[in-house]
Amino acid sequence: MSGVLSLISRTKLYWGLIAIFLLGVLSSPVSSKGNNIFLSYGNLLDVLRQVSITGLIATGMTAVIITGGIDLSVGSLMAICTVVCAMLLTVEGDTTAALFSLPMAGIVALAIGFSIVRFVIVNLEKSKSEEQSGRDVALDRTRGLVIPLAAGAVLAGLLLWFLLPQVPTKFGVLGVLIVAPSVGLCFGAINGLLIVGGRLQPFIVTLAMMVTALGIARLTAGQNNAVLPVYTGSNAVAEFDNLRSLVFGIIPAPGLFFLAAIVLYAAVLRLTPFGRYVYAIGGNEEAARLSGIPTGKVKVATYAISGLLAGIAAVLYVAQYRQGKPDAGAGLELDAIAAVVIGGTSLMGGRGSMAGTFCGVLIFGLLSNILQLHNINSNLQLVLKGLIIVGTVLVQERNAADLMNFLRLPARRPAQKGASVERRRQEETRTLEET
Amino acid sequence: MVDREEDRRPASAVSEPLLRASGISKRFGGIVALSGVHLDVHAGEIHALMGENGAGKSTLMKILSGVYSSYDGSLEVEGVPVSFASVRQAEAAGIAIIHQELNLVPELSVADNIFLGREPRIAGLLIDRRRSRRAARPLLDRLGISLDPDARVAGLRVGEQQLVEIAKALSLNARVLIMDEPTSALSPAECERLFRVIRQLAKSGVAIIYISHRLDEVMQLADRVSVLRDGKHVLTKPIADLSQDAIIAAMVGRDLLATDYSTPSETGPVLLSVRDLKLSKPHRQGWREVLHGVSFDLHAGEVLGIGGLLGAGRTEILESLFGASNGRVDGSIVLDGADVEIRSPREARRLGLALVTEDRKMQGLHLEASIVDNVALPLVSHLSRFGLRLFRRERVLSERAVKSLGIRCSGVDQAAGRLSGGNQQKVVIGKWLATRPRILLLDEPTRGIDVGAKREIYDLIFRLACEEGMAIVVVSSEMPELLLLSDRILVMAQGRQRGTLSRSQATEERIMQLAAPRSAKAAA
Repeated sequence: MSGVLSLISRTKLYWGLIAIFLLGVLSSPVSSKGNNIFLSYGNLLDVLRQVSITGLIATGMTAVIITGGIDLSVGSLMAICTVVCAMLLTVEGDTTAALFSLPMAGIVALAIGFSIVRFVIVNLEKSKSEEQSGRDVALDRTRGLVIPLAAGAVLAGLLLWFLLPQVPTKFGVLGVLIVAPSVGLCFGAINGLLIVGGRLQPFIVTLAMMVTALGIARLTAGQNNAVLPVYTGSNAVAEFDNLRSLVFGIIPAPGLFFLAAIVLYAAVLRLTPFGRYVYAIGGNEEAARLSGIPTGKVKVATYAISGLLAGIAAVLYVAQYRQGKPDAGAGLELDAIAAVVIGGTSLMGGRGSMAGTFCGVLIFGLLSNILQLHNINSNLQLVLKGLIIVGTVLVQERNAADLMNFLRLPARRPAQKGASVERRRQEETRTLEET
Repeated sequence: MVDREEDRRPASAVSEPLLRASGISKRFGGIVALSGVHLDVHAGEIHALMGENGAGKSTLMKILSGVYSSYDGSLEVEGVPVSFASVRQAEAAGIAIIHQELNLVPELSVADNIFLGREPRIAGLLIDRRRSRRAARPLLDRLGISLDPDARVAGLRVGEQQLVEIAKALSLNARVLIMDEPTSALSPAECERLFRVIRQLAKSGVAIIYISHRLDEVMQLADRVSVLRDGKHVLTKPIADLSQDAIIAAMVGRDLLATDYSTPSETGPVLLSVRDLKLSKPHRQGWREVLHGVSFDLHAGEVLGIGGLLGAGRTEILESLFGASNGRVDGSIVLDGADVEIRSPREARRLGLALVTEDRKMQGLHLEASIVDNVALPLVSHLSRFGLRLFRRERVLSERAVKSLGIRCSGVDQAAGRLSGGNQQKVVIGKWLATRPRILLLDEPTRGIDVGAKREIYDLIFRLACEEGMAIVVVSSEMPELLLLSDRILVMAQGRQRGTLSRSQATEERIMQLAAPRSAKAAA
């Protein structure tokens, strides 16, 4: 019995998702042919398409939040990247965007080449050395620094050799798919470096970046609120349209990117030492540092990846809405944080999962879809969204009974029944066992 | 302040217990924490409550002080049945508790903390700072401490913060004062001062329930002793009828063997040689030197104890060696004959150092994570291949640690936060032993853990030094522990090295002589 209950409580996130899905099915209008519109393939694909951009952002946000941080700058970073992407696609010659994005792409290529080669060398060394020594392998200067650096330089050279000829003409799809995310990654890494190096609060640093990046996006775009339209086939390459169409006729391209990103990142969190460090830092950063974990590097990486995903989302945004603009990502960081929180990730860090975020994103997406199908006023939608956030978190944290007690005024004794009391008992058990 | 309690304190309370708990039972889910426990406390007595961790002391105290409101059994104050729904109600009845873990707001001042929630006000709206400051001073004076009521609590040392807690309880005019391990973070001098205050309070008619693991304290202080074991009441007797051994036997249910932990007289080669180690920490605008040149050699297979008072620089030595201090380290560290510079815990680990920190919850463990995840944390990367964690190896590693250290748990997947203090400490030690260190630095390795687990950790330290030739440094505030474990004891005072005593030379008195702070003139 209690096994069943705990199973239900562990999977309650999925129940929420199923409930909202059933609500959609049952309340859906029916087309003239008698089909359920909500359940139609086209509608469900629309939902996936709509959540993809928020979803990509939320994916990066999840890891940041698990480390106990927060990234408020993602919306603005996406804005910069949409501007860069649109500009590279539609404007010839050395524009502002090309001027700062290409060096950034070069730096990113250098860093990635360096990391990959070093990673391979370290692991080769590890499999060679006796496994039980209990110590890390130490690399000499040549293999630890020179070879990876050379590899990085080669990669950066190759990339620039590929990208530079595109500057005088216009960029192709692959070009922007590399450059825009690189820009995001660089800005994200700056966030991380400031937080780690300057020992600053993530909230402050990313808030500053949010403002700064918005300014940079506007400066790059030329005028305030300048919109850079992208007409595939006329002022940009026709293939760019592929990023908004169905892949193999089954799944919309943005959805594919979102699914790939979240599955990959979930695997990284679950299966790699990096993932373990992310949780350890959120759970107890001091203990992690004293255990010899490179906490600084890990944190910088989470912010950099968050920026990278914002960059990818930006390219998809440009493809989807056929434009790049400085206010493209306004408010997006809050949507993403809401989805992450609905997914059960604790803002205190140390606890959470990508699966939860996936559910959170879908719950949001399905809800807006249902409301749209019923033609409900978009402002009312906002109100309902807010209620959903509070409601799910109350259920998540099992605090609903506490709220009831609180509202019933302090005159009453604390309720003896209900989830919160049960939980308190569990906590008492825990403290008992601790002391 | 609250004067109304004064006139409610009748002389008739002498014969009748001030506080009586009878037949108290409490369960948490399936676990029975207390079953049918009785406790009588009379006005003016110091009643020691003893028992190993998990014996139910803390649970009983939380019931008495209104933290837990659902339990079986009855409570009486002066013969009147009571039940407390909250800590506030218990406080109103004159029962105050000082928890082992500090309950202060670090950013507020001493006076603000003492009167938190009961601030004297001007016109009911504004906090009357002047009045609370004035009211705080006599309380602090009563404790015999010269603390500025305006000082920020975060800037105080742990020992001083503890005293603020006590002042806070005093301000409630408590008739029953419960103290849960009040001395665990105090220096001997501070302990003495606290004992004076406790005796004085008892003389004035306050009943004190004193919980401590330290037998010598209890023998010195208590009038009567009650012992709990596994949630059951084992005995209550006047202290005069009990010996230390009798109390231990009642607590543990078995006799502890006194063991001699001296390592063989010939120790191994010098492993670590520290010369003129200095540490400066950022202080206001500039730097303040907190370690003024410490030098010692550490041999393989040796246990070096570091003694001294709180704040004497003991922890700082370990932090500097481990690259974990947030400051500037000067001096030379020679490891295996090679000059090394240790800038981060990562480098220290690579060189074969391990540090088991003083505060396992804040610095040692990821409480929500499982035992496997905690034990394998430093080695996750090392145990992985091509970026993928090898979960089986992590399990094997931690199962080995659980087995060799005797960690009592339901399995390696149990969350570390759900273990008892002693077992948590073993997890932290197990985490570091898995990295196969050559030098093990232990900071207060047995703080807040029960007698049985302590003994196991002593055995382990001895085994590691003797059989594996590990060099071990132990920092401890408990003299008997230091004397028992150390081959040599380095005594610190005010950030300076005062002397080194060999096992044959070391006695509590000699350590205290060296550890006593000297006035500025004498030190210079």
